[in-house]
Amino acid sequence: MDVQFFIDVFPEILEGLTLTVSLFLWTLLFSTFLGLVLALMRLSPIPPLRWVSAVYGWLLRGIPLLLLLFYVFFALPEFGDFFILSPFRSAVLGLTLWTASYQSEAIRSGIISVDKGQHEASEALGMSRTHQMRKIILPQSVRIIAPPFTGNAINALKQTSLATVITVSEMTGITRGIISSTFQTVEPLFALALVYLALTTVLVFAQSGLERVFRLKT
Amino acid sequence: MSDFDFDIIRRSWPLMREATWVSIQVFAWSLVLASFIGLLFALMRLSNVRALRWIAGIYVWIFRGLPALVILFFAFFWVGRVLDLTSFQAAILGLGVSSGAYKAEIIRAGILAVDNGQREASDALAMTRAQSMRRIILPQGIRVMIPNYVSNSTLLFKSTSLATVIGLNELTGKSRQLANSTFKPIEILTAAGVIYLVLTSVLVGAQVLLERRYAVKA
Repeated sequence: MDVQFFIDVFPEILEGLTLTVSLFLWTLLFSTFLGLVLALMRLSPIPPLRWVSAVYGWLLRGIPLLLLLFYVFFALPEFGDFFILSPFRSAVLGLTLWTASYQSEAIRSGIISVDKGQHEASEALGMSRTHQMRKIILPQSVRIIAPPFTGNAINALKQTSLATVITVSEMTGITRGIISSTFQTVEPLFALALVYLALTTVLVFAQSGLERVFRLKT
Repeated sequence: MSDFDFDIIRRSWPLMREATWVSIQVFAWSLVLASFIGLLFALMRLSNVRALRWIAGIYVWIFRGLPALVILFFAFFWVGRVLDLTSFQAAILGLGVSSGAYKAEIIRAGILAVDNGQREASDALAMTRAQSMRRIILPQGIRVMIPNYVSNSTLLFKSTSLATVIGLNELTGKSRQLANSTFKPIEILTAAGVIYLVLTSVLVGAQVLLERRYAVKA
């Protein structure tokens, strides 16, 4: 292994870091919102809302993310000019749709794990369903939601690497470019791996930090 | 948007069927490899020997911290070149090694979930550690492992799509080529999605059967 090349290649790969991180943050933001909506729909008293959410989850969890990205990037534009998105936006859309299906399960299981007595007590106090959910149920469920939620978020970070396949040149894409132009594979791959490992390790620490914040004080 | 063209799917079907079979084979072999790695590293993490625990811990940290795509690049561009692997073999290696890290955690959690009394009882019966693991602990741990094990395997099946990036003609990559050459991305990619949905639904069905088979008889 050529150590000098290994060091030289870092700055070039890090140029893609901004793109990787912004893919991740946008995905995290949108998928959290969509995941919450889907979870509440799944728990709604209105059957059609429940069905839509269940079918969504079944569809999105049943196909590979890569296929979904191809669909967004190649098939969606056929439905009209409105759907012609930049590679970056296509990637955020695909990653969001996919991650939301997992986040909705994490959020739903957190909500249903809140003790039934809490529902009944807030009802007895004359709270409306939305009021209950916002003030009583969700704050308590956050504790249970946090671990799978951050797990999904870490997966989303790793999956931003797939955006390279629809021509977004984030870190993985840049690394592929270096490999094909220099024919050196080991050094750029190790450099890339180190950056990802650093990112995911930071997130794992954030995860245990979060869990500590939400732990019940006894 | 033009009308949905079923004829193009019918004509592409022979190629797609072939590619589906490649996906299934990659899945089956990498599942075998991942299960073997998972069991090995789970036992190492629970070992009395500190060095073994460390090695297994580092393995899990690294391979869960990296995107599967990056691991595939390593398997293909680095190990694959040294050992002269085909993209089919490199895909099995990369996916197996990556999924193995998750399987190790799932198997470890299953083993830890078995009541300590069982271990003590088998100690009292003078069983060796290996005996008690094989005869007492693992058979009971399997029950806890099944749900996570199968859903992780479903993820693995979907991850086989990544192998297109290292040049394997599996279902997702083949469909993308067909979508390009026929100019019918909606039809072809939808057909691929249906194939994935059917196959992942089969896996979910297998999970239900397995859970029933290993359920505690009341």
